[in-house]
Amino acid sequence: MPALNGLLWLIGYWLIGEVVIHFSGLPFSSGVVGMLLLCATLAVLGRVPSSLAAAAQPLIALLAMLIMPGVVGVFFILDELAGQWFAILSALLLGTLLSVITTLWLLQRLIGRSDAQ
Amino acid sequence: MPSNVLSTLTSTPLFAVGLTLAAYLLGSLLFKRLRNPSWLPAILIAALLLAAALVAIGLPYATYYQGATWLTILLGPATVALGMPLYQQLPRIRELWQPLALCLPIAAALAACYALGIAWVMGASPAILASLAAKSVTAPIAIGITEQLGGNIALLMGALLVTGVVTIPLVSVVARLLTITDERLIGFALGLNGHAIGTVRAFEISPTAGAFASLGMSLTGIFTALLLPLAWRLISPGG
Repeated sequence: MPALNGLLWLIGYWLIGEVVIHFSGLPFSSGVVGMLLLCATLAVLGRVPSSLAAAAQPLIALLAMLIMPGVVGVFFILDELAGQWFAILSALLLGTLLSVITTLWLLQRLIGRSDAQ
Repeated sequence: MPSNVLSTLTSTPLFAVGLTLAAYLLGSLLFKRLRNPSWLPAILIAALLLAAALVAIGLPYATYYQGATWLTILLGPATVALGMPLYQQLPRIRELWQPLALCLPIAAALAACYALGIAWVMGASPAILASLAAKSVTAPIAIGITEQLGGNIALLMGALLVTGVVTIPLVSVVARLLTITDERLIGFALGLNGHAIGTVRAFEISPTAGAFASLGMSLTGIFTALLLPLAWRLISPGG
């Protein structure tokens, strides 16, 4: 079962992440620490072991389903947030518009220019 | 449904797991039937179906969520698994590391700051600010960040959905205004601002746009995950 082998790797890196956070006291999530450690390990190895790919690919494909229980929650807090909706939506819509403009403008100046040289 | 049958069924987490699987598959099916509308992601259809089912059955959300923990526990290893595509993108990062190293921190920090500034000016409560901060970060990473900040995961999910969906038309309009046609730039902007939803859209434009979108998405996720909780601890009063 190569996929099980790969799953054990993923769980192992996640647990290492927990240990790192426990001892360092840094406010990171163990998933992110595990992800960076996994990426570093693969860079050292220079390839992706097939057992790891067998576990990682289906899990990544399932991400949308794994976050669904959380997404559904938004419909059950609508009442709690009454009166704050205008602030929330303005922040999201206007904030995203501003950050899209900033990103594209910066990229155009930085990458567009380096290509022109 | 008679309440004794319901209490028998909900005594096992498999009911919540089955309900989630069914809603997810039905949502994906409907999404394909509607010809993949970019303004209505499959996850939103599935979430609406699931919410309707919970209300129809009379199952409290808290009870459902407890059972669904059997699924959500997998988010941990799934987040670690994102290290694999990240490794596969390393050559692209090396190719453009200078402009990216300049652009990414500024753009990713501003993505959070703009929204927080606007919400703060409009008088949103600290709990809401904590829930909106990770709005441009891909969900598995954003959940970890929001837990660190003490925000509400459900509100975060709503914020992610809104941000992802509006990023798509905004990027195309702003790119037209700035006369940007480079698919690498458009893809990167889609992933940086619109996380997974923007990345899916970028893959519809072209594989290059998609690759740069996933690059933008993962780098924004890492950058925000490493710096936002630290910044939050420094800034937040009494935090």
